[in-house]
Amino acid sequence: MNHLTHDEFFTALTTLFPTKSSPKGTIILSQKRFTFPQQEKSENPLADLNPSDPLPLIIHATNAKSKSSREKGHPRTKLSTIVQPDELEGFYAKYAEVCKAGMSGFLKPRDRTKRKAKAKGKKKKTTTVAA
Amino acid sequence: MPYYEKSEDWLHQSSLLLQARPSTTRLTTRYHIKPARRVSKKKSESAAADAAPAPAAAQDEKPPRGHLELKTYDPQSGVTLKYKTSKAAEVTRLIQMLGQLGRGMAGLPPVQKKEVVEAGAGDVEMVDVGEEKAGASGAAAKSGTQTPVAAGGQGGEAGKNKKKKKGKR
Repeated sequence: MNHLTHDEFFTALTTLFPTKSSPKGTIILSQKRFTFPQQEKSENPLADLNPSDPLPLIIHATNAKSKSSREKGHPRTKLSTIVQPDELEGFYAKYAEVCKAGMSGFLKPRDRTKRKAKAKGKKKKTTTVAA
Repeated sequence: MPYYEKSEDWLHQSSLLLQARPSTTRLTTRYHIKPARRVSKKKSESAAADAAPAPAAAQDEKPPRGHLELKTYDPQSGVTLKYKTSKAAEVTRLIQMLGQLGRGMAGLPPVQKKEVVEAGAGDVEMVDVGEEKAGASGAAAKSGTQTPVAAGGQGGEAGKNKKKKKGKR
């Protein structure tokens, strides 16, 4: 699997989020320390606790399409990128931006009661943007 | 598989788990949209009527709701920690938490100010090792009994959380 650069990853991730026109679906993001199995099986079982050098992270993203939906013509997309320790801060700032833009459309805005949502469906959207 | 009520609790327990098992623990974020719930009466009516009134009925329906679930999982000990929300206001904060935990995962000091931590690195490391050993043994013992509560000396807190949940159910 090819690892993408951060910019490519974010561009592809943006397209992965469900849109207003197709409001359904799932996104799974995961992050893990990027190590090889040999490194994990070192003689000292606690060797990984205090690594001499910081290690990179690997970030995965997928739209988690099941086999049945893949057969219906919705391809599964898998993305991954590697973040070096010194790039973490910048990466997560952008990551938060992209995730917020992609997710907040279907999450509860800050001041919302059930009645308001029914009565003022359109106003809800504006508050989401403002928040 | 405890769900935490507060994201701060989840962050704290996850950071302890990461301290104990930084190489195997993974953080998963699941964002999922459930289709809008339909009232069965409306559905049958709109199905019986022409296609034209159907969109109007759709507007009355609840909009589809997204859910965001964070999971910390360590396959070696079987510890799973979860937090779930549907509030838009929390997204940015939660991603920042992922970033904080990412620092621990990468092996960087948890505090943002690197220089300060490095100055007192000796003390920090000593404390870490002690916690980590306790965490590893605790987690291993717990994995056998299938009660995946966070690693390391937080038995009291975790117990409280569990009790609360039982009460609510």
